[in-house]
Amino acid sequence: MMRGGEGLTFVAQAVRMAVPYACAALGGVWSERSGVVNIALEGMLLAGGLAAVVAQHATGSAWVGVLSACTVAAAMGLAHAATFVFGRVDAIVSGIALNLVAAGGTRFVLRALYDSSSNSPAVEGFRAASFEGGGDWAILARTLIDPATLFTIALALATAWALRKTPFGLRVRASGEDPEAVRATGVDVRRVRLLAVAIGAGICGLGGAALAFDQHQFQAGMSGGRGFIALAAVIVSGWRPLRAMTACVAFAALDALQIAVQDRAGQLRDLVQMLPYVATLVMMAWIASRRGASGEGAPPAGLGKHA
Amino acid sequence: MTLAATDAKGVRPGIPPGLLASLAGLAAAWIAFDLLVWSYGESPRALLSMLFAGTWGTPYGAAQVLYKATPLLFTGVAIDLALRAGLFNIGAEGQLAVAGLAVGAVGASLPTGIPGVVAIPLLIATGGLAGAAWAAPPALLRARLGVHEVISTIMMNRIGEAFVAFALASGLAMKGTVRTGDLPPGAHVPRLDSVASGLRGSAASFAVILAVACAFALPWGFARVRVLREIALVGMNRVACAAEHMPVARRLAQAMLFSGAIAGLSTTATVLGYKGHFESGLGAGAGFGGIAVAMLGRGSALGLVASALLFGTLEQGGLAINAHVPMEAMQVLEGVIIVAVALADARVRESLARAVPRSLGRKARGA
Amino acid sequence: MPALEVHEVDKRFGAVHAVKRASLAFERGRIHAVVGENGAGKSTLLRIAAGLLVPDEGETRVDGRKLAPHTPAEALSRGVAMVQQHFALVDVLTALENVVLGREPRGKWGGLDLGAARAKAEAVAREIGASIAWDARVATLGIGERQRVEIARALYRDARVVILDEPTAVLTPGEASSLYATLRRLADAGRAVVVVTHKLDEVRDFADVATVMRRGAIVETRDVTRSGDEVRSLARAIMGNESVAPLERGSRTIGGGEPVLVLRDVRMGRAVRGVSLEVRAGEIVGIAGVEGNGQREIVRAIAQLDAIDSGSISPAADVIAIVHEDRHQEGLVLDAPIRDNVLLGELARFARYGLLDADAMDREARARSARAQGPDDVTIVARTLSGGNQQKLVVARAIARVEEGHARVLLVAHPTRGVDLAASRAIHAEILAAAGRGAAVVVVSADLHELRALSDRIVVLARGRVSAQLPPDATDDVIGQAMLAGHDLSPREEARP
Repeated sequence: MMRGGEGLTFVAQAVRMAVPYACAALGGVWSERSGVVNIALEGMLLAGGLAAVVAQHATGSAWVGVLSACTVAAAMGLAHAATFVFGRVDAIVSGIALNLVAAGGTRFVLRALYDSSSNSPAVEGFRAASFEGGGDWAILARTLIDPATLFTIALALATAWALRKTPFGLRVRASGEDPEAVRATGVDVRRVRLLAVAIGAGICGLGGAALAFDQHQFQAGMSGGRGFIALAAVIVSGWRPLRAMTACVAFAALDALQIAVQDRAGQLRDLVQMLPYVATLVMMAWIASRRGASGEGAPPAGLGKHA
Repeated sequence: MTLAATDAKGVRPGIPPGLLASLAGLAAAWIAFDLLVWSYGESPRALLSMLFAGTWGTPYGAAQVLYKATPLLFTGVAIDLALRAGLFNIGAEGQLAVAGLAVGAVGASLPTGIPGVVAIPLLIATGGLAGAAWAAPPALLRARLGVHEVISTIMMNRIGEAFVAFALASGLAMKGTVRTGDLPPGAHVPRLDSVASGLRGSAASFAVILAVACAFALPWGFARVRVLREIALVGMNRVACAAEHMPVARRLAQAMLFSGAIAGLSTTATVLGYKGHFESGLGAGAGFGGIAVAMLGRGSALGLVASALLFGTLEQGGLAINAHVPMEAMQVLEGVIIVAVALADARVRESLARAVPRSLGRKARGA
Repeated sequence: MPALEVHEVDKRFGAVHAVKRASLAFERGRIHAVVGENGAGKSTLLRIAAGLLVPDEGETRVDGRKLAPHTPAEALSRGVAMVQQHFALVDVLTALENVVLGREPRGKWGGLDLGAARAKAEAVAREIGASIAWDARVATLGIGERQRVEIARALYRDARVVILDEPTAVLTPGEASSLYATLRRLADAGRAVVVVTHKLDEVRDFADVATVMRRGAIVETRDVTRSGDEVRSLARAIMGNESVAPLERGSRTIGGGEPVLVLRDVRMGRAVRGVSLEVRAGEIVGIAGVEGNGQREIVRAIAQLDAIDSGSISPAADVIAIVHEDRHQEGLVLDAPIRDNVLLGELARFARYGLLDADAMDREARARSARAQGPDDVTIVARTLSGGNQQKLVVARAIARVEEGHARVLLVAHPTRGVDLAASRAIHAEILAAAGRGAAVVVVSADLHELRALSDRIVVLARGRVSAQLPPDATDDVIGQAMLAGHDLSPREEARP
């Protein structure tokens, strides 16, 4: 069906599109491994994306944009964690509220700053060179050495290492499994959770920045459900960061497939758009049916519990 | 994960529950409103009176508020029901969209002379069934496989969006449009302005009566209907119910289905009571708005009604002040209210829980 | 200067006054036992002493200085560690990871330096004479091993005061002696050792000082003599003026004919490895055994909550009335009124065309509540009742099902755990009465006194098998031996320095 060249382009596309999913998934891993349910990844992607575009538009620097995205998203993460940890509010409720605030808030800011309720002005992002040109292998190579891709891979590896091999990572894992027991060892579970959620949220914000820079503008609602799919990727991969990356690439590939097929789909266009979401459902159902009793891939036992 | 429940006798140890939390929500909303308005360089008080003028200031405005509040009341009740079972139904958006499509499609195919007594109950039932059907996959996934309903319902929302678009494009819609054909005249639920001429031109209809009835039927149902009572008990302590051989999975699935059905009933206001057909995007937003309504007003029929009226006012008011401050500000207010109410409510529950010493607690598991 | 003391400490949980202006000092080099019946406030007091609970009034002092801030972190840094009754270990982590949690050794690049930790952990293990599988996940360790990991953790943090809450509740008699030998070593090395227990014979045999608590207040503190009279005098101090006449077992005819409850070669995973049992009408069979030997799994299997791999259980669960071991999780819906709780699972009986008959429910609920000496107002929420009253309701629910003929078997698991004496006696009376009326009764309990008081015969479970069937007057030694049957007593468990 596809020529060799198209295949490579497709892979490049999938890798490129996987970055926001992957960053959001890492955000989910940090948060949930510490015991805080996080369905606000969607809102963090949006807020991060807008922050990045606004910052670059104002200062001309993509790096300032990235920094802003991280900061704004991390602040959201802190608010989310604090509401749960100190306010004892169900983390799902807090997540829903944050998503609403982000959705409405980003549109509000768009109107306020740029007088449009749907688009921001164009920004350059990171890539100066255009995507086309130089042959298929060059496209793939360019994608792989794109700062966003490299950064994401590095963050994924760092997350995996940190969780298993550092004192903080040990505390995060322990807090997510049995916060009461951890408290008895003198560790401040609340602080661990605040920090873990903030770190994850910051990474998620990066994903939002990548998303917006990729499109060279911010569009209202541009996260399109990626935050939830990323969470599904986390669940499906047993809350393990590296496996979650694989799941994200798979979902992104579906996304890319759906876009590629759309032009030829004609009447079935709308049905094809369902593809990533249906796939998510099917994936979750399949994994859940295989898991049965707890063990490999079970959620952190302390999710939602307080110390 | 459940919010504290009250049954018909209002059994909660002493503290006036929802009131404190609701007041906290309103206070937070006012502060947020001020901040958003100030950031636009406008005066909150001026905008507030403008908002009031555009809503409760005229009979037309009030009726518009009623129109917007009605679907919110339906979805609020729906989400409240699910919450009693400990479930989060975020899929009301998709459920009401698919229900709208079903009612529009079925209605358009009814014979023109059909009497209202037949058409209206038929179409109301269609809406309910379609909503329940759209809630069925998440319900089953949760009951049988334990898949968390937050993600599955959100996925169903997006799938629903695509499905409705596909169905409309594939022939259910009239050529070149995104709307279904007209309903026969008998299938319309009369507008309120047919009895009160001062409301002329407004979209509000007698569907509001059905919504209020649902709101009041809920607490009664939880006290007197066996399935609902068991659903509430399951929501409070699933393990104990399972230990007594109550069909926990089945009750959870039923709760989701009932919730979807009530969300689907909102089509009575939008399709039957207002437009007389279904079009793409009709009723959108009520699914998420219902979450805020349920959070603010849960457990009490009056609370849900008042809450729906509040958010209906915000929605209509947002339009009235849109020239000065973007109406998206209202969405931000929704989120703020949810958190404020939840924070105040959590404090109350905390102090209740602290009254119990951790005696039995966790098990020491042996090999 | 006492190593640890609590001064005028007061604590309430809602309406329950758990600790009443208590002052107590713990000295170095001694094993100090704190005794009292269930609900006396022992655990609460010691958790306050260990910084795990903040008192409403009063303070904790370590080496004479006030413990401030009153947190577990501060207490640990000042050398006070507590081994709680329900182990505070994270199951999915290894033993070593659990031990270092909170004071992790850092290596280069910010990573964990487990090598350094291992050396110190080994040293600590040697001190308590244990050999611990450091790289094993705690979930795979047995209860005795977990306890050793917890003690190792306390010593790893250089604890100078070690508090243990009911440490022998989950040990066989042999393991208990072993533990006390370890505790003696710790005390001799200059630490203060505090043990919360209700086992008076252990106090007589191993403790140096005993403090008696009753209803949240400290009654007396005195040195322990190893005399034969010690247990009785301690018991008198614990009970105060209440007389402890033994319950009348009464005369019951144990029905002849077919047994009512039959288990044949039941197997479930590694927990239950071939259990057979027969109980006749009017008979009370007690199931003894240290926690974790299959009791919980068997109860759940009989209740048809978990599937068995092979074997058979008859009759089916709907004619068995069960009192589960954890009333907060499995027994009651705490946020629901008494009426719902006492009729839990029986709503079908009161429903016609899907609607509930509120009056009939009220009548039945009030009757059951009265049976349990509970309030007449059945709209009261279960959470607000005391532990004893809650348990009585759960028992009343099960007994009512037996009485009304819906059940022929009564199965109670740990019926008086965490329940005060008066309520315990009431519950025991009900159990005996139920048997007297012809029910086949099974009592699962870790409390040998309770089993002796109730059972016609005692079945001992060890490692998922029935290791012995004994008469109720069998001695502790015999029962203890039966509990150990099938356990691995390899030399490493008795390692000496």
